Amino acid sequence: MSLLALLGVLSSTIFSGTSLLYATLGEVVTERSGTVNLGLEGVLLVSAATGYGVTVLTANPLVGVLAAMLTGGLVNLIFGYLIITRKANQLAAGLAVMFFGYGLSALIGKPFVGKLIKSLPRYMFPGLEDLPLRYTSLFKFDFLIYLVIPMAIFIWWLLYRTRWGLSLRAVGENAETAYASGRNPGAIKFQGLFVGGLLAGLGAAHLSIAFTMNWAEYMTGGRGFIAIALVIFSKWHPIRAIAGVLVFSGAVAFQLLLQVSGVNISPFILDMFPFVLTLTVLLIWGGTRKHSAPATLGRVYEGTE
Amino acid sequence: MKRIHGILAIIIGAVLAISACAQQATPTAVPEPTTPPTAVPATAVPPTEAPATEVPAEEGPCLIIGATYGGPIMDAGYNQAMHEAIAAIKENISCVSIIEAENVYDEAGATSTIENMIAEGAKMIFATAYAHQYPALGLAEKYPDVVFEHVGGWEMGANFANIFGKPPDVWYMMGVAAGMMTETNKLGFVAAFPLAWTDVFVNAYALGAQSVNPDVEVIVGYTFGWGDSAKEAETTNSLINQEVDVISMHVDSPQTVISTAESRGVYSIGYQNLAAQQFAPEYWITGQGFTLGDKFTWLASTVMDGTWEPIFLRCGLSDGCMAIAPFGPKVPQEVVDKVAQVQADLESGKIVTFAGPIKDQDGNVKIKEGEVLTDDAMSNVDWFVQGVVGSPK
Repeated sequence: MSLLALLGVLSSTIFSGTSLLYATLGEVVTERSGTVNLGLEGVLLVSAATGYGVTVLTANPLVGVLAAMLTGGLVNLIFGYLIITRKANQLAAGLAVMFFGYGLSALIGKPFVGKLIKSLPRYMFPGLEDLPLRYTSLFKFDFLIYLVIPMAIFIWWLLYRTRWGLSLRAVGENAETAYASGRNPGAIKFQGLFVGGLLAGLGAAHLSIAFTMNWAEYMTGGRGFIAIALVIFSKWHPIRAIAGVLVFSGAVAFQLLLQVSGVNISPFILDMFPFVLTLTVLLIWGGTRKHSAPATLGRVYEGTE
Repeated sequence: MKRIHGILAIIIGAVLAISACAQQATPTAVPEPTTPPTAVPATAVPPTEAPATEVPAEEGPCLIIGATYGGPIMDAGYNQAMHEAIAAIKENISCVSIIEAENVYDEAGATSTIENMIAEGAKMIFATAYAHQYPALGLAEKYPDVVFEHVGGWEMGANFANIFGKPPDVWYMMGVAAGMMTETNKLGFVAAFPLAWTDVFVNAYALGAQSVNPDVEVIVGYTFGWGDSAKEAETTNSLINQEVDVISMHVDSPQTVISTAESRGVYSIGYQNLAAQQFAPEYWITGQGFTLGDKFTWLASTVMDGTWEPIFLRCGLSDGCMAIAPFGPKVPQEVVDKVAQVQADLESGKIVTFAGPIKDQDGNVKIKEGEVLTDDAMSNVDWFVQGVVGSPK
């Protein structure tokens, strides 16, 4: 295995992990406010289709990214209406949103299948310009990749260093107490969902506009659910989410490296490896979990009317 | 306020339900309501009352053709190639009527879609996806008066036949081009699944490349999905990280693979549809696509004049069933000439793609000296030739 191949794993991990990290960060914010959004997969699909479509129509990937973000926020607000205003069961409503997303994204994306887009421009990672050509293409990233780690830090700051974050977490821990201290749990949950949706939209935009440069039905391939698993993995913490995404995406890149370097293991088994690894880590971490999940996660806030 | 919320909830609920159903129903089997059904509906009841209300024959289409696709018809890949071939029938024989259904993913969907088409009066069915073969074969027994053509399969029946291009020979030519263009002597191949046909394509590609460049290696990576774009991008990247400098693929739509290769400054060779070239304006070498329109038209015309017979039809470049895309701007003339010469030699029989002796990855002789791999043996291939890196099964 050459140095290029190992650096390649790093590069692949960064490329494919970016959309996953945005989605995971979004779900961290949402879950911190006490809401589980099982519909994340559907949100990603609708945002990816919309972002791609808008990019085709406007020939401007930036507008596409913006459209994908807003779409993510909007779909999450629909979900919020169901579970906050109508007090529907979160898990059932989440699954409904997922199927809704499957159908709606297919409908939105249909006219844009097979259309050529102008992708996001890529910039050389500073300081690596002098590497040989074969190496340089590994480290040419679009701005969404450069932004993803700062975004994780920003979300950490937002959650742990601002009043808004404090309110959000308070609502997730105990909405009644938050209400008693003068906060509006419903409004805060809506805000949490909207911010989560914007982040999911960013992830979806990276997936369709920058990474695959394509729209195909069900293109997320379960990444929404992986993101939900990674939230548990990272114990609802935005910085630990980076580690979770690195493990999962790194495993995907590594199994592909094994596959293409002619290792004598069935590719079917190699393809399972990232999921088995994630499961194993979840099992090991599960034993030591204490007080990491928001206390009222998944519970419907009945209000105090 | 409560009332408004109630109404809103119902509307949202309804929209959710409709879209959830919509994804099942995306097949755009929009049977034109204006066409009067010329045949007895599918109930298969003896047409006791039919003669009484005879539909005026001159109003209806001369033949209703149903076509099912496994994906979207504008995918710049396989499904688009099939759709264009079906559209060619209509262009050549204007009195036919076409019913199309795209995104028919699974076997159950194929069965009900084809039955609906027959109920709408279809007398000829083109089932173009891999997964549609057995549903179509089952229906062929149920509806003996309907002609079924499956694309790319192997089953045959009294009213069920198979048609396909001859991609292996063209893959050999693609290999020649790739073998001459590569500088690292590593060619990448993104494949959906380790299937017999994929193995055959990879083998033909590798043999072609080795014929002009003995040191060449073909590295295969699997995505385990015909349309998992993110996995396709990941696999393409990891092949490029193995110093591959030419990428080819066997997935439904070549869009992601070719776009990714282009964005990394790596050559690509397209498959399925000539439209793939648009995704690689700079690093395109060439590509192959299916152009089955004339053969489909001919099959439809034989159904119309009653001379249709079940033929296991395989037709290649010289029959016009396949075509080679224009070469890209970075391809030197000597490569173009060499590919043309190999094409002539393949047609004259001077070169046979799978002529023995051919050894597999472990050095076992798979095709003996003086023997060739026959067309029907190709669907049982589960080995890669020497010089291929990756697992064939």
